[in-house]
Amino acid sequence: MPEVKLTNVVKTFDKGRIIAVDHVELHVRDKEYLTLLGPSGCGKTTTLRMIAGLELPDEGEIYIGDNLVSDLPPEYRDIGYVFQEYALFPHMDVWNNVTYGPRVKGWEEEKRDRIGREMLELVRLFERTDAFPSELSGGMRQRVALARALSSGSKLLLLDEPLGALDARIRTDLRYEIRKLVKDLQLTAIHVTHDQAEAMAISDRIAVMRKGKILQVGTPQELYLNPQHIFVANFVGESNFIEGYVADRTDHKLTVELRGGISVKSLNQDHKKGDKVVVAVRPEVLAIQKGKKSGVNSIIGDIEGFRFEGTNVRYEIRLENGDLAVVVRPALMAEWLSVGEKVTVAFPVEKSFVFSYPEKGLRTELALE
Amino acid sequence: MTAFSQPKGIRKLLSRFGVSATVASLVIFVFLPSFFLISFTFTQWPEVYTEVFANPLIGDTNWIEIQKYLALSLRLAVSAVAIGLVFGIPLAYILARKNFWGKGFLEDITTFTLVIPTSGFGFVTLIAWTSIFGVDSVYLIPVINVPFIMLIIHVALTFPYIVKTLKAKLEDMSTLFEQASGTLGSSPLTTFRKIILPLTLPAIFSGAVLAFARSLGETGATLVVSSVYTTAPIAVIRWVSQFNFGSAAFLGSLLIIVASAIILPIEFVLQKKGVSSFSFFSTLHIEKKLLKLEDFASRKLPRVRDLVVLLFIILVVVLPIIVVLNSVTLSWNSDPDTGKVTESVMYQLFGPSNYFSALIDATFVSFASAGIATYIATCIAIPTVFLIKRYRFGRFLRAILRVPLIVPTSALGLSILLLWGPQGLNLANPGIWLIILTHIVFSVPVVVEPMLATFEGSDIPLYEEASRTLGANSYNTVESVSLPLLKRGILAGVILSFTRSLGETGATFLVMGSATTIPPLVVNMVESLAIPAALFASTYLIALSFVLLMLFRKVTTR
Repeated sequence: MPEVKLTNVVKTFDKGRIIAVDHVELHVRDKEYLTLLGPSGCGKTTTLRMIAGLELPDEGEIYIGDNLVSDLPPEYRDIGYVFQEYALFPHMDVWNNVTYGPRVKGWEEEKRDRIGREMLELVRLFERTDAFPSELSGGMRQRVALARALSSGSKLLLLDEPLGALDARIRTDLRYEIRKLVKDLQLTAIHVTHDQAEAMAISDRIAVMRKGKILQVGTPQELYLNPQHIFVANFVGESNFIEGYVADRTDHKLTVELRGGISVKSLNQDHKKGDKVVVAVRPEVLAIQKGKKSGVNSIIGDIEGFRFEGTNVRYEIRLENGDLAVVVRPALMAEWLSVGEKVTVAFPVEKSFVFSYPEKGLRTELALE
Repeated sequence: MTAFSQPKGIRKLLSRFGVSATVASLVIFVFLPSFFLISFTFTQWPEVYTEVFANPLIGDTNWIEIQKYLALSLRLAVSAVAIGLVFGIPLAYILARKNFWGKGFLEDITTFTLVIPTSGFGFVTLIAWTSIFGVDSVYLIPVINVPFIMLIIHVALTFPYIVKTLKAKLEDMSTLFEQASGTLGSSPLTTFRKIILPLTLPAIFSGAVLAFARSLGETGATLVVSSVYTTAPIAVIRWVSQFNFGSAAFLGSLLIIVASAIILPIEFVLQKKGVSSFSFFSTLHIEKKLLKLEDFASRKLPRVRDLVVLLFIILVVVLPIIVVLNSVTLSWNSDPDTGKVTESVMYQLFGPSNYFSALIDATFVSFASAGIATYIATCIAIPTVFLIKRYRFGRFLRAILRVPLIVPTSALGLSILLLWGPQGLNLANPGIWLIILTHIVFSVPVVVEPMLATFEGSDIPLYEEASRTLGANSYNTVESVSLPLLKRGILAGVILSFTRSLGETGATFLVMGSATTIPPLVVNMVESLAIPAALFASTYLIALSFVLLMLFRKVTTR
């Protein structure tokens, strides 16, 4: 039942000087876990707050289910909202926090107590009902906040960076817990984060936002395998970006000439001959071999940097044309190479993306802020 | 020479000297005068007893009077605080949480009665309420009588304390809890009752405590309107002027004891425990009805709330000012009703009575005494703040520094008079030096409070540590890091103390001798029925207060 639809939503601050959300269209399906992903200041939290009614849009419409809620205050929207800073009422214990929603909605005592117990059991905090928020750890507080949001009985759960204030390990544990809970209770969830790994792990679909606009909406796989925007290619997973221009095109393939006269092949994405383009290749797609080898899309270079990162090893390679490329290989599967060695890097034709060279320059287009 | 190269013994000696000098000046200038009256009453008990309970001529009449005066004072204070709470809480909420056109102005108006010398404001209110409804209308509207006007004045002079403390607390408090409550389905009014009220209750209480203390000690404005109605502080002044020191000292001590007995326990409990979850309406039945009502009111009534609050401000603050400004222009050259030139502002100012030069003289005395008292108080207050923050006895020091703030000033004046004056150690005769000594007593805590607030709001210990790790010694750190960070607090304190000193009436009356300051001058004008002159003096005070207000605003807003 709770679908969420945003049409043409605009929100400005500071008398229109700051455009926080710029004509956003979004359709969140029923029982879907959707994440708004973007760097800080991209308007994702503002979007979520507008869905909750904590901000009102300047233009556009917001629907929850079939109801137009654009101008409705939060208390009439029937939502559950989890704040990054928990926002647990400091003067109430866990039990009173969790049953606050049922109480202010005037539900019967019996129903209130049943829901409170259920929710606390769901987040495994039933034995701490008498504790005050200041006595709990960060992870516990966020689980109480989650239980409190759920106990209002809403089928729509809004989460504003719910894991942002937690330690790294607790963060990864809790993200799976939240997803399981949402799926078990068959909720629609909208989750805001700037952490792409979290977004990939938790979501059915991700909407990538930047500077108030939604750039692409898709499943984690779609975003990773087929980014439609150069920013998405960099923000969802990493990418190497190599500048060049289109030397030749056939129906299926492009030949791109890079600096230093190296030419590489990629799939055609509607670029014309002579266009200035950027070829994006993910570090984990690049194969690396010792010595000079020849082949399709093979480029020679020297290893300039090497890091062991645990699961992976990471090489920085100065290509023969002077560009820098990053290669990531699984640590256990590869023979480690050392700094100064001559190597050849190569990538399959179908695993690279070609984007038009951005008008404002590559650096501006990739910038996080 | 750096601290490092100093022998440890000398450093220790210096710091010990600084601490004891600060404590000594606090004791001499602040604590001794605050408590002396009570000890005087005890040591002179036989004489006090005869005068109050067993006067050979009038028996225990004085004791009966004392009970009457105290009762009136307490009734006034309690009612003023109650009314102040009713209007002050919504006003503070609006000021802290809403944005609207003219908000800055509304804030200034709210602060105005804190700044204006109270005798001037008392006269302004008296004129406004009697001239609008007329003396005859006393019979048409039976409510408008002297006690009613007294109450209005006390409300006007005390509600800013409630508004200011609650507003500061609300601005400090994140709106997150209110938002969370909203997303959980509670209407703004329910949120107010269940979240905001419990979380801000300590602030509301301490605002109410300040308001109560101010009302209990209020002298200047009350003197102007009192006629036959005598409050306790006024009785102290009247008895002193009749040289009935025994009765005055006894009543003054009672005032100090009553104020401390009511205020200090509340403060102590609030500091210690805070207020945890509380509920007035536990049964679900009432709770449900209440929720519905709050939901309804939240949707329909915010306009009404804004209007009522606005009306309140206009009635108690704005209207009196406008009426007086109007009257002063009307009677500039001659009395508007009778046409008599002798009843005009110009005649009374520059005519035979020459109130203008009296006003100029009083201005000089006021500024000199306020300036010197504030300067000395600031010199004591700055090291005191560091004592409070750095030493274990700081908390205790802070608690007893509240006492001079709640001691009614006429009791304080009497205390000073009996301690330093001719009857006591005979250090100074009534006059400007005794005025200064009196003003220092309440100026020190007035300067300390905003400095402490700034100290607590600005992470000073962190920056001090940073400075020490960069190689600065503790003296350099205080000079180059802590004091600049405290600048705003110090300035705010200085202005607050200066205005308070400028407006002080009760104590000044007792210690001024012939060196009249402005507020007693206004009282004198009213008592000698020089109404046009008093009108002019009030206008002058209104203008002065606005200037001070602008200064204050400039200093405190970033």
